[in-house]
Amino acid sequence: MFRSAKSILVAGLSLSLTLGTAGAIASEKYGFGKTATAEEIQGWDIDIRPDGMGLPGGEGSVADGEALYEQLCATCHGLFGEGEGRWPVLAGGEDTLTEERPVKTVGSYWPYASTLYDYIRRAMPFTAPRSLSDEQTYQLSAYVLYLNEIVDEDFVANKETLAAVEMPNQEGFFVDPRPDVSNTRCMENCADPSKLQIVGTLQGITPVGHFVEGADAPAASHHEQEQKERQMHGEESAEQGHQAALSDSAVAGRDTYDNACQACHNSGIAGSPKFGDKSAWKDRIGQGMQVLVDHAINGYSGDTGIMPPKGGRSDLSDKQVEQAVAYMVESSQ
Amino acid sequence: MSKQIRSLSTRELMAQLARESDGLSIADRRDFLKKGMLAAGAMTATTFAGGAVAATGKNLPPMEPSWGRKLGAGVVDKPYGVPSEYEKEVVRRTVPWLTAESIASISMTPIQDLQGIITPNGLVFERYHAGVAQINPQEHRLMIHGLVERPIIFTMEDLMRFPSVSEIKFIECPANGGMEWKGAQMEALQFTHGMLSCCEWTGVPLRVLLEEAGVKPEGKWLLAEGADGSHMSRSIPIEKALDDALVVYAQNGEMLRPEQGYPLRLLNPGWEGNTSIKWLRRLEVGDKPWYHREETSKYTDLMEDGRARKFTFVQETNSVITNPCPEKPIVKPGLIEIEGLAWSGRGKIKQVDVSFDGGVNWVPANLKGLVLDKALTRFSLVTKWDGQPWLLQSRAIDETGYVQPTLGQLREARGTNSIYHKNSIHTWKVEATGGVKNVQIS
Repeated sequence: MFRSAKSILVAGLSLSLTLGTAGAIASEKYGFGKTATAEEIQGWDIDIRPDGMGLPGGEGSVADGEALYEQLCATCHGLFGEGEGRWPVLAGGEDTLTEERPVKTVGSYWPYASTLYDYIRRAMPFTAPRSLSDEQTYQLSAYVLYLNEIVDEDFVANKETLAAVEMPNQEGFFVDPRPDVSNTRCMENCADPSKLQIVGTLQGITPVGHFVEGADAPAASHHEQEQKERQMHGEESAEQGHQAALSDSAVAGRDTYDNACQACHNSGIAGSPKFGDKSAWKDRIGQGMQVLVDHAINGYSGDTGIMPPKGGRSDLSDKQVEQAVAYMVESSQ
Repeated sequence: MSKQIRSLSTRELMAQLARESDGLSIADRRDFLKKGMLAAGAMTATTFAGGAVAATGKNLPPMEPSWGRKLGAGVVDKPYGVPSEYEKEVVRRTVPWLTAESIASISMTPIQDLQGIITPNGLVFERYHAGVAQINPQEHRLMIHGLVERPIIFTMEDLMRFPSVSEIKFIECPANGGMEWKGAQMEALQFTHGMLSCCEWTGVPLRVLLEEAGVKPEGKWLLAEGADGSHMSRSIPIEKALDDALVVYAQNGEMLRPEQGYPLRLLNPGWEGNTSIKWLRRLEVGDKPWYHREETSKYTDLMEDGRARKFTFVQETNSVITNPCPEKPIVKPGLIEIEGLAWSGRGKIKQVDVSFDGGVNWVPANLKGLVLDKALTRFSLVTKWDGQPWLLQSRAIDETGYVQPTLGQLREARGTNSIYHKNSIHTWKVEATGGVKNVQIS
C-alpha cells in the first residue's frame, strides 16, 4: 500500500519537472479567492464615514424616530437617553468632560453624527442587530440627535442633512502623542521613603471567593451573581426551577429564550421580569397565558417597562414566541 | 543565582509608615490606604491557596497511593482532553458589576495560575459586544474591497492555501488596569491585570492578502469588521496592515476558539486588543479613517482638559509580579522566586527590575525562557523572605529604551479619566503574615 502510493507520487513529480513548473515562486500573485461582484459588496458594505460616504437614500424624521425609539431603544437607553442600569447613556453630559465623573454621550462626546447612523445600522437594537431598514436608522439617528438638542424637532435626517450636522465636541480629539511620559532606570535612592503615600484597595467589590474563604464578595460571573442575589432574597435558583417537569411547548421554547429573550430577561433589563424570579412573575402569570403571549408578540407598555413586539426580534414566528413564554413561565412559578 | 536584597531602608520605611498611619478613620477612602496596612492581617489569615483538596494520609509515604493500586481510564476516554479535576479553580472570571450583563462584557485570564508565557486556549480572556458568534466555517467569507484593483472574496479554504506563519504575540485589552486610575479597587491580580493573554497564532500576513487585492496608491486606511451581531469595526492605518498584522485562523496549534473569533480574526501585534477584530468578515481600503463608535465613543482617552486622544493603538511597556500576588500569598519564610510577566507593544523586553521598598531601590531580575517581540516575557528573581513587610514592584524596560512609568507620572500627564492604557508600575504590599494586598503608591 505504501509502495504503490509512493510510485504515484514519484510519477507526479517527474511530470511536473518535465513541464518546468517546479521552483520557488517569488512575486507572482496566488490568485486565490473569487472576484467580488458589485452586488455582493453592496450587501456587506454597511459602513458610514463622517463625510457621508456610505449613507444610503431615504430619510427619517425626529417625530417618526420618537415612536420607534420608545418601542425599541428606551428599555435599555431610557426614555430620554438617560440610560437604564449600566446600559449606555445617550444624551446629556454637556460640559462634564473636565469633571471628576464625566458623562460621555452622543451630544457631549461623539465627534461625528455619521457614527450614530453607522453604529445603529451595524449593531442596534442590541437583541436584533441588522434588523432595521435604512429609513428606520435615519429616524433613530434623528431622534437621538434631537434628544441631545443638536437638531430641532422638525429635523429630517438624510444623506445630506446628517453629514452636515456639526457635533459640539468635533474638535475635542487629537492624535495619540505617546510616549508622553519619560521614566528613567534609577536603581538606588530613587524616591524619598518618608514621602511615599500608600493607598489601600477598596474592599468588598472584588470577586475573591475563589481564594478568600467565607468572603462577603460578589460572584465571579453574571450568572452566579444572579443566583447569589436570588438566594439572598430567599428564592429558588433558576436551576432549581428547571428541575420541574416542563411541558413540550416550554422545552421547545428554550432555544428561542437562549437566543433572544434572555438578553433582557436574564438580568431584568428595565423592569422586565427576570427568568426564575417567582415574585416578579406571579401577578403576570395570574393574567393567563393568553395575555402574556399577546403582550410578547404584539408588545406592551407597563408600569415598570416596555416589552417591544417579539422583543424586537421580528424574525421570530408567533409560535416561537409562544413557546418561549411557556418556557419562561414554567421556569418562574 | 540568588540575589540578596538590601532591605536596609525597607524596615525603617515600613515602621515609619505604620507609625504615621496609626489611628486614621477607615471611613474615608483616601485615608484608608494607610489604615489598610494595619488592618490587613486579619483578612490574610483566612486566605487559602487555590482549590486543591487537602491530602489524606493514606496516599502519603509510606502508604501506596490509591491510584497506584487500580487502573485508570483508557485512550480516547476523553477525545478532547480537559484539565485535572484538581484544577477547577483555574478559570476565567469577571467582575459582574462592570457591565450590564454578560453578552457585552469582558472576562479575565487567571494569570496568577499560569506558567511560562503561553495562555491555554480555554483561558484566553474574553471580550464580546454581542456574545460569541457561532459560525459555520464553510459559510464564512472574508471580503476585501474598496480602493483595491481587484475586490476579492476568500473562503476559509482559500485562506488556508496561502503559506502560513506562526507567531507568539500577546493580546491585551487597553482597559487592563483601567479600573484603577483613580485608586486601587481590585483585590486580586486576575482583575488588576487579567485582560491579557499570549498565544501562538497561525495565519496569513495581512500584507499578502492586500497584495493579492492590489491596494491603490490613495489607500491609506483599512476598515476591519466582524461578522458577529455587533459587526465591530475599527480603522487601521495601512502602515500597520503592511507591517506585522496577521489574519489568523489558529491559536496554540488548533483552530481558533469561538470566543477568539472562530474561524478567522485579525491580529494587530502589540496594539490594543479591540483592533484585532474577531469573526473577521470584511476589510475595506479607504483614504481616511471611519471614526466609528469603537474609535470615538470608546477607546479614546479623555485628558484632564476635556480633550481626548484618538487612535491610541500601542499597548505600552508594562509588567506585573504574579508570584507572590493576592491569590498567591507567601506561605512560609525562606527562599522565594519572585516571578512576573512583562510585555511591550513596541518590541522585545530588554530588562525588568524589582523593588522591595516601593520604588526607592531596585534590583535587576532575570528574563527567563523565550524573549520575543510583542510577547509576554517571564521574569524571575530568587530571594529570601523572613517575614519582613515588602512593597513589591516590577519595572519593565523595552528594546526602545522606554521605561515603565510610575502611577504618579501617568496621572500627571493624563489625569485620572482616561480609562485606557494604564501601564504604570504596580505595587503589592506583602505583610508580615505573607498575605499580599493591592496598594497604590504616590
